[in-house]
Amino acid sequence: MERSFKQEVELLKLGEGETFHGEGILAVTKALLQSGVAYVGGYQGAPVSHVMDVLNDARDILDELGVHVETNASEAGAAAMLGASINYPIRGAVAFKSTVGTNVASDALSNLASAGVIGGALVVLGEDYGEGSSIIQERSHAFAMKSQMWLLDPRPNLPKIVEMVEKGFELSEASNTPVLLELRIRACHVHGSFATKKNVGSKNSKNHPIEKPDFDFGRISLPPATYAQEKHKIEVRWPAAVAFIRQHKLNEVFAGDMSDTGILCQGGMYNAVLRALQLLGLADAFGATRVPIYCMNVAYPMIAEEIVAFCAGKQRILVVEEGQPAFIEDAVQAALRRAENHLVKVHGKDMLPLGGEYTGEVVLAGISKFLNSETAIDSVRSLKARALELLGGVPARPPGFCVGCPERPVFAAMKVAEKATGAFHISADIGCHTFATLPPFNIGHTVLGYGLGMASNSAVNTMFGKRTLTIMGDGGFWHNGLTSGIANTVFNKDDGILVIMKNGYSSATGTQELPSSPQHSEFKSGDMGIERALEGVGVGWVKTVDNYRVGEVAKVLKEAMSTEYQGLKVIIAEGECQLERQRKLRPVVAKNLAEGKRTVRVKYGVDEDTCTGDHSCIRLSGCPTLTVKDNPDPLRRDPVATVIDGCVGCGLCGENAHAAILCPSFYRAEVVQNPNFFDKALNRIRAVFA
Amino acid sequence: MSLPDRPITILIAALGGEGGGVMADWLIDAAARCDFPSQSTSIPGVAQRTGATTYYLEIFPATRAQLGGRSPVFSLTPSPGNVDIMVASELIEAGRAMHNGYVSPERTTLVASTHRIYATVEKMQMADGRFESNRVIDAGKQLARRAVLFDMRKLAQDSGTVINAVLFGAMAGSGVLPVSREACEQAIRGGGRGAEASLRGFAAGCEIAAGSRPTPQPPAPPKRAEELDEVVRLGIERLTDYQGAAYADLFKERIKSFEKLEPKVAAEAARQLALWMSYEDIIRVADLKTRASRFERVRKEVGAKDGEPVVVIDFLKPGLEEFASLLPHALGKNLQSWAESRGKLDAYNVGLHVKTSGVFGFLLVRSLAWLRPWRPFSYRYQEEQRLIERWLLRVNEAAQRSPALALEVAQCATLLKGYGETHRRGKANFLAILDALVENPPTADPAAQAGAIRRAREAALADPEGKALGGALGKPVTWLKQVGRT
Repeated sequence: MERSFKQEVELLKLGEGETFHGEGILAVTKALLQSGVAYVGGYQGAPVSHVMDVLNDARDILDELGVHVETNASEAGAAAMLGASINYPIRGAVAFKSTVGTNVASDALSNLASAGVIGGALVVLGEDYGEGSSIIQERSHAFAMKSQMWLLDPRPNLPKIVEMVEKGFELSEASNTPVLLELRIRACHVHGSFATKKNVGSKNSKNHPIEKPDFDFGRISLPPATYAQEKHKIEVRWPAAVAFIRQHKLNEVFAGDMSDTGILCQGGMYNAVLRALQLLGLADAFGATRVPIYCMNVAYPMIAEEIVAFCAGKQRILVVEEGQPAFIEDAVQAALRRAENHLVKVHGKDMLPLGGEYTGEVVLAGISKFLNSETAIDSVRSLKARALELLGGVPARPPGFCVGCPERPVFAAMKVAEKATGAFHISADIGCHTFATLPPFNIGHTVLGYGLGMASNSAVNTMFGKRTLTIMGDGGFWHNGLTSGIANTVFNKDDGILVIMKNGYSSATGTQELPSSPQHSEFKSGDMGIERALEGVGVGWVKTVDNYRVGEVAKVLKEAMSTEYQGLKVIIAEGECQLERQRKLRPVVAKNLAEGKRTVRVKYGVDEDTCTGDHSCIRLSGCPTLTVKDNPDPLRRDPVATVIDGCVGCGLCGENAHAAILCPSFYRAEVVQNPNFFDKALNRIRAVFA
Repeated sequence: MSLPDRPITILIAALGGEGGGVMADWLIDAAARCDFPSQSTSIPGVAQRTGATTYYLEIFPATRAQLGGRSPVFSLTPSPGNVDIMVASELIEAGRAMHNGYVSPERTTLVASTHRIYATVEKMQMADGRFESNRVIDAGKQLARRAVLFDMRKLAQDSGTVINAVLFGAMAGSGVLPVSREACEQAIRGGGRGAEASLRGFAAGCEIAAGSRPTPQPPAPPKRAEELDEVVRLGIERLTDYQGAAYADLFKERIKSFEKLEPKVAAEAARQLALWMSYEDIIRVADLKTRASRFERVRKEVGAKDGEPVVVIDFLKPGLEEFASLLPHALGKNLQSWAESRGKLDAYNVGLHVKTSGVFGFLLVRSLAWLRPWRPFSYRYQEEQRLIERWLLRVNEAAQRSPALALEVAQCATLLKGYGETHRRGKANFLAILDALVENPPTADPAAQAGAIRRAREAALADPEGKALGGALGKPVTWLKQVGRT
């Protein structure tokens, strides 16, 4: 795993009345234990990966509490696990990113929501929206509405987030409904503090087994039970939830003296709203506001009675609702109309942008427009205009492959192969390898979802005169790619080429373990090889390549493009995630050096006097340590390529120089540290010549 | 006492893996030591993989006792014009912050390192795609209330630590951080591993920002030969080294015609000529790779300590083209045209890993350098001289019409660089421009012609596939390599 959470685990052990200082998502994890969960699970993905990471490092205290921790195969698996709370009064929680995770999970979530739960069921959603997001821009709200699950969107400070986790379980049980807790990226990573309570063990858990199974056809997703379930949702669960939310005041009203106006916001938007009011001179630093605020810590269901009461006597209100469509604003309009309040004018998306993250700047602009004080933001506008005038555009810096990444050479090989075969269509997938779509490679024509690379290739592959290519990571392979892509391609006798990036981990999300990881923690089964799985589903053409041998990889790619073999051809591109590799290597090397053992350090370099500054090498690599510097030759102008510190000696530079016949400027230097007698003697002989 | 009416806001722009998170932790720790409420947040996401990322902190500069139970409401996002301290671990990231309005003359202290880590889009260009650093530095000085700008990466390396310690120090030294230097140092000590080195970096950054230690001077700009005299001197040196005094005399002979030109045009044409005449062939590369100065440079670049042997392995892949270039003219020409017509130019390259630092590898490569006396009889030499003469003629012709036009024609030689396919592509582009815009110009107006040549040259450097150049020349030309038969 990318990070060790040994320190954070200590935070989970805090008892009654102690103070937790830490990250938002860890506070949620602690809150789960305070709420007495019997099981937790999830699927990795920013910004909630840490929930699973820290739980995996906290096995001892979880065992003590009897909490079962499951590393689920996918978000669908995680949501299905919540089925344990359908028949039994046990609390459970799962975490994944949204909306991609919610998409994958929605089959299980629909069934779960229809059957209803006895034990509290909570889904922690990392709302990956706006700046720093890595996925398609959609909102989770729709999932709550369509399946009728409650959506919590707490004010982003730790005590409130923790309180909403605890209340979430109670709400779930009071209304027999699964509850979603949505946390935006910054809220997941917010550092703050709260007063802890002691952890609670579940009444039934793996330490206190359930005695006999409970059968109730009413909880099965099959007609006629499903008809009754829908009725139960409307007639019983919804009113129960509304009653609970009102009774426990989950939504908050912050009063203010400007009683003819008001702001309604999602809980997650509260801090931005308050800061905007503060900048406009209408609130202080501690939350005292002149404009009344209705803060919806429960984003769904909307409590019409509370809205109507808040709006009574007001001229205008502003709904601050991030994302689109504007579900809340529309519902507010409808609620007021039904209550026959025709006086209040409802603003929202007319003052604020329809889509995109509601940052402090966006909310300030919207609120200042709403309050007719737009001059307040003139200075900001002129500041930006001034910077633009002084700077012009600055180069973008998107994420990319790490130094020495084993996936980079495969894309270099594709570029090399393409020169011989001509351009071909490439169905890409999700993972670190998606970065290949960015410069310098610009490889990959479509991305359709995690593990769905092969499936997304099934029609387009038949539309070309020559073969096309599919890319899939080992993470995507186990998530669903094996079944939805590979098995199905074999089943349909399709002729495709699949490159599986086997780097050993779910790297993009923080190098979590996979069934095919090279080594496993004690809680996981031993190696479940991709090769054996492929054999099992009957793939007849499998070649394994060493990623760093660019020429070889290109050759195998060309072979796959031209072979007479009809059917799925799989190329397993092997190379361990360099982040993990370096993490393991560094202490070993440090120890060897300290002990005086002979160690060879490899670094690549470029001869500055033979480099002519065309940078073909960079267009085939993009490695952060392969960069440019001023040309030392006073007659030349273009910068020369150079390899800076941080090079891990992966060898791609040299391989590319050979495979693409680039130029003779690259060299590999082997620095012999702690040289032995033989090294020294040889060195003396060499010195005579060079 | 009256409480402050707002928190101190700090935005840190960093690149993934630079320790921005650790710096945020130090700040939170230091604030806690002063008993100030604070909050930090970040958007690592996928940005952890080498991309740009930010950390945002707010510290309320009043102790919990002074606050009497009240807690400030902190914002999770920075807002333009309302940032007190803008920290950037790299210069373009400071530029990006200014772009987003986070640096304001009323409020913001800008603390940024002036070193560059080039973005992929800058370094992948075929010529020089680097963003001009001085533009960011000047903008920073104009837009910030105070700008603390120096190369913090270098200072960190000199102090044996990482850049975040120096940045943290510079923040503390700037005087706008509401926490004391002692609290900051305690926070670093509390972080454990590497604390001593971090404290050294912190102290250096702090003292420079506070003015008690001189700001490190930026490195001198690279030496560039601009004047004709200097270009000629360097050209003679270079060509003497390349092929001997007689060859340098040929250079002197050739630049005689430049005397009539404007000094700027003459200097540029002479510079291009010197570079072209010292074209990189196998003999030259072998010579440069086996010099004692080269092995010294490699040792320095890879940071080898005294007494540590360094083995140098070169990646060479000579093929038909390199072989043909060494043959006598007629033979070489025949072989080259045979290979071109069959698409076999890159078909027979032999990939070699030559241990140039070893005895046999050294002798192998050095023996190629010993072919130098043969060079004037080789196919490539004669081809290059023929093309040089053609280009010289066009430069001189153009000079009679307009200096600006002559300058453009002279600069076309910049397209000739690299090896193998890169060189072929550059040469094809050069010839296409020479043919279409210099020798058969579509316009008689020298200014329009010069403009067309410049645009075509820039287009030739815009993309390696020649798409832009095709457009600039007004015809669908692409110099893609022939698709091989598979």
